[in-house]
Amino acid sequence: MSATDKKNLQGNFKPQDAPQYADVLQCMRCGFCLPTCPTYALTGRERSNPRGRVALARAVAEEKLEFTPAVMEEAFFCLDCRACTTACPSGVRAGEVMEICRSQAHAFYPLGKVGKAFREFVLEKMVVSPDRLEKSMIPTRLYQRLGIQWLVRHLRVLKLGPDWMEKAEGMLPDLEKPLRPQLPDVVPAKGEKRGRVGFFLGCVMTLMYPNVSRNTVRVLAHQGFDVVTPKETKCCGAPHLSEGDRETARQLAQFNLDLFLAKDIDYIVTDCAGCGAALKEYEEMLEGRAEQDKLALFRSKIRDISEFLVEVGLRTEGLKEVRTSVTYHEPCHLCHAQGISKQPREIIRKIPGVELREMNESSWCCGSAATWGLKYSDDSKKVLDRKLDNVAATGADYLVTGNPGCHLQLAWGLREREMPQSVLHLIELLGRATPED
Amino acid sequence: MISKTAIDHLVEKLGNENVLHEKEDLLTLGYDSTPGVHHLPEVVVYPTSSEQLIAAMEIAQREGLPLTPRGSGTGLSGGSVPVRGGMVVTLTRMNRILEIDEENLTATAEAGVITLDLFNAVAEKGLFYPPDPGSQKISTLGGNVAENAGGLRGLKYGVTRDYVMQLKGVLPDRSLIATGGKSVKDVAGYGFKDLLVGSEGTLGIITEITVKLIPPPQDKRTILAYFNDVRTAGEAVSRIIAAKIIPSTMEIMDRATINCVEDYVKIGLPREMAALLLIEVDGHPAPVAEEADGVRRILEQVKAAEVHVAKDADHAASLAAARRTALSALARVSPTTLLEDATVPRSRLAETFGEIERLGGKYKLKVGTFGHAGDGNLHPTVLCDERDHDEMERAHAFYNELYEKVLAWGGTVSGEHGIGLAKKEYLARQVGPGGVQVMKRIKQAFDPEGILNPGKIFEEKDPGTKQHVEEGFRVSH
Repeated sequence: MSATDKKNLQGNFKPQDAPQYADVLQCMRCGFCLPTCPTYALTGRERSNPRGRVALARAVAEEKLEFTPAVMEEAFFCLDCRACTTACPSGVRAGEVMEICRSQAHAFYPLGKVGKAFREFVLEKMVVSPDRLEKSMIPTRLYQRLGIQWLVRHLRVLKLGPDWMEKAEGMLPDLEKPLRPQLPDVVPAKGEKRGRVGFFLGCVMTLMYPNVSRNTVRVLAHQGFDVVTPKETKCCGAPHLSEGDRETARQLAQFNLDLFLAKDIDYIVTDCAGCGAALKEYEEMLEGRAEQDKLALFRSKIRDISEFLVEVGLRTEGLKEVRTSVTYHEPCHLCHAQGISKQPREIIRKIPGVELREMNESSWCCGSAATWGLKYSDDSKKVLDRKLDNVAATGADYLVTGNPGCHLQLAWGLREREMPQSVLHLIELLGRATPED
Repeated sequence: MISKTAIDHLVEKLGNENVLHEKEDLLTLGYDSTPGVHHLPEVVVYPTSSEQLIAAMEIAQREGLPLTPRGSGTGLSGGSVPVRGGMVVTLTRMNRILEIDEENLTATAEAGVITLDLFNAVAEKGLFYPPDPGSQKISTLGGNVAENAGGLRGLKYGVTRDYVMQLKGVLPDRSLIATGGKSVKDVAGYGFKDLLVGSEGTLGIITEITVKLIPPPQDKRTILAYFNDVRTAGEAVSRIIAAKIIPSTMEIMDRATINCVEDYVKIGLPREMAALLLIEVDGHPAPVAEEADGVRRILEQVKAAEVHVAKDADHAASLAAARRTALSALARVSPTTLLEDATVPRSRLAETFGEIERLGGKYKLKVGTFGHAGDGNLHPTVLCDERDHDEMERAHAFYNELYEKVLAWGGTVSGEHGIGLAKKEYLARQVGPGGVQVMKRIKQAFDPEGILNPGKIFEEKDPGTKQHVEEGFRVSH
């Protein structure tokens, strides 16, 4: 047992960003995660469920298995939906172990020249710079065409699914102008002032859902908060974590951490579940790289918009009636990664005139999962169909959610199936009830 | 090592998706929830019909591979661990509910149906399937039958065996067996059905199960009692039974367990208390009210620190759900959780708690205890680290001494988890050499060549051979 005696066993992992041995040893294989795993529901294969994936990581750590292509495949086939984290009484975080294995995958199986150039182009040049992203999006349709053609030529290096292009194009909403350049640096509170918040405007929100975040700022101001939106904000790092580029993610985290801590704000609020989950992970990502009290202070300020409004108490006086029925889809990165499940419902119930109709399996992934939906487009369709069946059964007018990835996927699915519902971000619904001034 | 030809044959008979032989698959199908046991099979098959199962068994025989049946792998004694390699037969893809017979109050399902799915399906028809092992959301019916699984409702409603009416399956010689039926009474010949229940996959592979259903209770009360010391809780249990009250559930958690569970569920369990009892009485409304009063009176008499009644059905359900997570939640504390399944006559409950406390101190171990107090079935769980040899030795000594007492009090070494790999030596102590001999003769009669789940319950051949533990598992490739 000599190898396993070591506290931090690395075994067949590369030293940089290897899973902690204690984290995989924590799994006692009870299987409570099995019924919550969407990929296990798809394949029925033990290695495609959290217990199996953790066992694979353990085998690599214990030098019983190399970091094989199959391990890499499982790391990327994992949706990273974190439903297993919610289900695990032992506190194992299989999704995070797989996320770390993704960065191992890049160390073990480097992409070819073209693939590397492309990945760097997207992750290190485009996504980190809001300015570049926004400018490139201005001649939208043209860019989409060109961009997509560029992607098509390098389709094989990305290993995307067969129908991904059609899907990607079909998923794009009608693009307005990006929000970031339009937002004032500070929007003052209305009515009795309750505090001053920093707004973390996510990349996908500013580009694809400017109307959602415009509402977020308006609602926050109406609720009595000055809203500070730093223009320099960079990507939260979630796409990089998801693709296994932990180093760029750390650099982005460091930048955002310094940027927001320098502002005079009580809270940092986001309306993107994916950003929120990543921001709450800065403390772990930057451990040892930034001062502990700075990390703790930053962590203590991060709130999802629904979490924030419930915590400070939603001011309901003056809200207009919105006569409609809605059902709520829980974004994985809100309910599983952040444990926020009750708050969005509480807000929906407080909006006058809105009837909340619960769907079955509201916390089951919609199959979007960052680029997963494009890589495994057939599987993604099956996961989505399960969700849409549950939506249909409610007969609600709107499908409410709180994350742009889910929003894109669900809106696309509803259109494809010609269902009557449309998707609203929770804050759009609240925005409808919030008077213009 | 299995031949390429054999794999090809299996694929031909079962289909590509139902035959797994890559190392990554084998690695993840050689364990269950039992700590420290892990062995690689050479191939894993997922038959979707009895015909496919028989075809796979035929190929296994040609290749000289032993067979280990498996469900969802939630067992706690290593029953589905392929300790001699060979072929793992996973039944999770035979998962259809075939019939719910409302005239005879029975349900028939394939072995791979998830326990809770059956419960929900019959509940929709206004019927009740009581056995509810802790892993009911994951475990299969076939696995429950093979291990004769218990659960939280065992006290009043009994265990899996009490509900099995008919079994169909395949014997090691590949003949089909059907035993029992929908008749309420059946004394025709030896009770094979009862022999197969709890046989841990050593006598036959069960493919189809018919279970008895009952009408659900109309009313239910859930009571939560806190105690300043564990022995008082044990005393309360014995007194409730002695007062001729049979609750459907009477579960206990000690302080270590309460804290681990509360870390996970966060529903306000009392972290500072030495123990809590979760008691449920159910049935017709009038007796339920009477029994609930009776229980509360006894709890007051023994001076329980606090007695609470669940606010509503949701609250009651959250308490039962919390209890179900006990074992896994204990795994938060340490890398390894060694769980035991000691069961004593209920009058000995308080003494057993005393003994667990004493031995935990003697061997300097961290022990969390929970279990089905009403059944006298406790799960003292040592929270340890398998990398610490000294600690593992002490844990072994702890159980050794505890079982000596348990057996002396007329208890059993396993209330519901089975013998499997984990408790072979304890079984011999309980039933004696004569008892083991009879079991071996029965095994011989069903499986003369010893191909079905070898190495379980008792040593067939060489008792001197130690089983390999995790790091030494057999790698066939």
